[in-house]
Amino acid sequence: MDIVFSQYAWFAPLFPLAAFAVLTAMGRGLRTTGAWVATIASLLSFVLSLLIAIERLGDSAEDYTGRIEWLRAGSIVLHAGYEVTNLTALMLIIVTLVALLVNIYSLGYMKDDERISVFFGYVALFTASMLGLVLADNLLTLYICWELVGVCSFLLIGFWFRKPEARAAAKKAFIVTRIGDLGLLIAILLLYWNMPNHELDFTSFYNVFHSQSGLISTSLTTLIALLIFLGAVGKSGQFPLHVWLPDAMEGPTPISALIHAATMVAAGVYLVVRTFDIFAASDAALTTVAVVGAFTAIFAASVGLAQNDIKRILAYSTVSQLGYMMLALGAGSTTAGMFHLFTHAFFKALLFLAAGSVIHAVHTQDIREMGGLGRRMKITAWTFGIGALALSGIPPFAGFWSKDAVLAAALDDSPWLFAVGLAAAFFTALYMARLFFLVFMGKARGDARAYAHAKESPLVMTLPLLVLAVFSVAAGFVETPWNEWLGSWLTDGEEKGSFSSMVVISSIGASLLGLYLGWLFYGRTSAGRNPVAERLPWLTRLLERKYYVDELYELAFVRPLAKLGRGLSRFDEAVVDGAVRLVGSSVQAAGKLNTRLQSGQVQAYALYGVLGAVILILAIAGRRFW
Amino acid sequence: MQTLTWSETWYLAPEIVLAAFTLVLAIADLVLPGRINRDLIGWGAVLGLLTAGVFVGWHIHDLGVWDSAGRDPYYNLLDGSYRVDDFGNLLKLVFLGAAALIVLASLGTLKKEEIPIKGEFYYLVLPAVLGAMVMASSGDLITLFVGMELLSITSYVLVGIRKSSGLSGEAAFKYVVTGGTASAFVLYGMSFLYGVTGSTRLFDIGQALQSGAVGDYKAMVYAAFFLIIVGFALKLALAPFHAWAPDVYQGAPTPVTSFLGVVAKGAAFAMLYRIFMNSALFAVSDNAQVRDDLYLALAVLAAAAMIVGTVGALRQQNVKRLLALSGVANAGILLIPLTLDVTNLHSSLFSEFFYYLLAYVFMNVGAFAVLTAVSRESGSEELSAFAGLYHRAPWTAGAMTVLVCSLAGLPVTGGFFGKLFILFGAVQNKVIWLAAILLATTVTSYYVYFKFIRQMYMRGGESEKQVRVPPAVGFVIWLSALASVALGVLPKPILEWVNDLFSVTKDFLAP
Repeated sequence: MDIVFSQYAWFAPLFPLAAFAVLTAMGRGLRTTGAWVATIASLLSFVLSLLIAIERLGDSAEDYTGRIEWLRAGSIVLHAGYEVTNLTALMLIIVTLVALLVNIYSLGYMKDDERISVFFGYVALFTASMLGLVLADNLLTLYICWELVGVCSFLLIGFWFRKPEARAAAKKAFIVTRIGDLGLLIAILLLYWNMPNHELDFTSFYNVFHSQSGLISTSLTTLIALLIFLGAVGKSGQFPLHVWLPDAMEGPTPISALIHAATMVAAGVYLVVRTFDIFAASDAALTTVAVVGAFTAIFAASVGLAQNDIKRILAYSTVSQLGYMMLALGAGSTTAGMFHLFTHAFFKALLFLAAGSVIHAVHTQDIREMGGLGRRMKITAWTFGIGALALSGIPPFAGFWSKDAVLAAALDDSPWLFAVGLAAAFFTALYMARLFFLVFMGKARGDARAYAHAKESPLVMTLPLLVLAVFSVAAGFVETPWNEWLGSWLTDGEEKGSFSSMVVISSIGASLLGLYLGWLFYGRTSAGRNPVAERLPWLTRLLERKYYVDELYELAFVRPLAKLGRGLSRFDEAVVDGAVRLVGSSVQAAGKLNTRLQSGQVQAYALYGVLGAVILILAIAGRRFW
Repeated sequence: MQTLTWSETWYLAPEIVLAAFTLVLAIADLVLPGRINRDLIGWGAVLGLLTAGVFVGWHIHDLGVWDSAGRDPYYNLLDGSYRVDDFGNLLKLVFLGAAALIVLASLGTLKKEEIPIKGEFYYLVLPAVLGAMVMASSGDLITLFVGMELLSITSYVLVGIRKSSGLSGEAAFKYVVTGGTASAFVLYGMSFLYGVTGSTRLFDIGQALQSGAVGDYKAMVYAAFFLIIVGFALKLALAPFHAWAPDVYQGAPTPVTSFLGVVAKGAAFAMLYRIFMNSALFAVSDNAQVRDDLYLALAVLAAAAMIVGTVGALRQQNVKRLLALSGVANAGILLIPLTLDVTNLHSSLFSEFFYYLLAYVFMNVGAFAVLTAVSRESGSEELSAFAGLYHRAPWTAGAMTVLVCSLAGLPVTGGFFGKLFILFGAVQNKVIWLAAILLATTVTSYYVYFKFIRQMYMRGGESEKQVRVPPAVGFVIWLSALASVALGVLPKPILEWVNDLFSVTKDFLAP
């Protein structure tokens, strides 16, 4: 099959970038028009991505790479380029589809915001950067886009900058992810020094690391892989750098769906997949990835049990699910990791957008003040339910198949990882059941008037929900135990999925048990009672406080650093500024002296001249005659 | 002794044109009835300057033809006491162009009550430029001195031409005293030089010093050159010989100030180059020390000028005094290329000097033209006269911003590249201390020049009256601003053109 559309893949980021330029140039006057410009741009990107994906469905589709020389300094040449493979085609579809739906949804959700065109501009810039990240053919281009999406995330979390929480959250997100970014940057520098010809593109990584050619020693490989993983940990909110992601929910809900659930946070997973050749060359690195992923999965899921903010619960769920993806990668299965990324993008975006629809209706995020909304908002409730079932891993919804693949890969690697994953699956089902029952079922517990005014959201907001619901049901069938199409398409048949009826049965069992207990605790007794909290108050408190991680960081890092900063600032004011002031005032004093010498007496001027001449002659010529 | 033949007068065409115009305009000023506007004389002076410029251009072209035909591109008149070469021609073009712009900017802005004898003011510019041209073209100490005196004496008159103003009279007096002192120093130094070498011809002096005259009369050689250096330091207002400059600049009428800052300074540099490049390059090994000391003295003067000029300007509130001190600092910068070791094949020294001179001419002429327009409206020459200029004359304020950027040496202006090239030259020759002082004073000078920006944009003026800019002045302001930008955008072609024309061996070291 001829490669036609792949050549033009670089247009995909260009459309939203152009939209960003237009929106920025035109300013706030555009409002709704601007929003439509951005939406149409994302539609164009989606259509192009769709064409590329269809083109690549053929068996013999070859990878397409386009690159230009970007910088040349002496013998150092840096390239910028893009690469279309089956993996990037899949990511293109995910990113552009979710971006398109989020754009449409935001037309309704952000309708009354006075900075709507700024919002759409930021979203367009984010989409462009994310597509650039996906398409990048080398680590340096990827890194630039990686930082760009970080900036967009920062801008959008702090979009409602008049709220102090939003400002603090934006700052926290930026600083915490920077820690990871630094790791990635060091990894890139190490690779640059050690790779033959200073190549940084992924094909060269494959050539060097896949063949185990020994060009780069095992210990160095492990170090590089761990540093790359540090970047992924920051971006994908893995333990211990997960603290920024729940706070990031201060941003507008469509942003939580697009950036902090479906796409940007998955960039960490994508980065590990993209550089998987490096990880595969180091067992230690793989084990680290798997352990961190598994721990994050169960850790975040347990925290999710005790949160009361609808978006925070979903945020911890995202952290937990990203942990699943890392677990799969650490267990050696990129297919399972990417598969879960693929399905998760849809059902988590669905859950966030549905949550946004709920918030839009009742103007609160506290699930204790909700209840009974299912009767008022049928479409939202049904689609949320589908998303919840998919996330909980109930067949035949998408999440079941991908979670199954992850668990199967974990079992292949180690029964311990499998057990942790299974426990996390149980927690997931439990907190989703709690969330669903508390929000949509039972009686209204909050403000009666708000409940009375709650109504279903407009079509622009429910339409994306419906589309995503369809994907949350159907997306799982691309990879099933009897049809391993996705795996063979992505990895060119290199990876084989492993099927085990034990995994299927135990995972369904864990999920059903979670849902049942959830119904028992929160669905049946719809009063405000919380049976777990009554019996184990200390545990609930521990979970509510998120294992005191934030407090620990505050004590261990933030306060000492702030103290150090204050000390340095005092040093700066006293010593550095003092020196500057001294220079300034002495120059000014010299100026004053100069003015005083300027007496207007021409005799005095002549005297200066004679003195100057004598000094000059004595100092320079005189020394020769001494 | 060679005499001037009729055919050789062609080589003196620019000088003869200027002399003729001076005579014609002087007579016209006398015979024309008083009711005829003396601006006519001014236009005549501009015409004379431009005509002379055309002849200089013609000479440059002729020399270029000689060069490509294999003939040496210079011509000696009167036994080599007067030289027509590319060095002189380039500087003559600068002097003529700058003088034409200055006269143009003063047309219609001179106040009758201040200068009742406007006609004289206009035609006296011509002999002053003639003196500058003689200084640029001389190959002999006597001719050099005559040119210098012609320029100086005319300048004394021009400075004191505001007869009714006490400030102007005081300035003229101070200028006569310091100028006379400077001439005395230079002449005394020249007499030592003649005593040691037995010749007043620069080439012969150079030969004599080369072949060992230094060894026998080392103290005399030191005395000769140091006296000359001190004399020129007075003329150029290098620190600590600069104290007269603010007083004289303030007292003189603004166009004359501009003329002193640009043409008189340029001419003094031309003469300094002639003397030093011709005679002070002696490279005989045991004399190298003397030579190095001389160039070191120049470098020290350059450094002192940059520091004192910049620091002194910090607290100045009077624009003319401020620009006078800025001129002190700029003279230091212009001196740098000469102080670098020529024997080290630093052959681009003249193009560095010339490029910055060109940028300096435009920024100074332009800034003084703006000052003319502004002070004409408010009657004040203080910085506060610029307050709110952005609201009262936005276009003029815009042009002034460009000129100020060039003065401060910000990209993309001629001032930036001028300083950059000089800086590169200094660094290439490993004279790091001078380069460091250049950088430090440049940074400090931002404070000085941004006083203008602050006044123009961030202060409200006392009056909201529009500043009316006469067309001729507006033309000069905008030509200067555009030229400053053009020099900043296209530095390469100009630099290469000068590098092509000029050669140390043919312009200085040839007999």
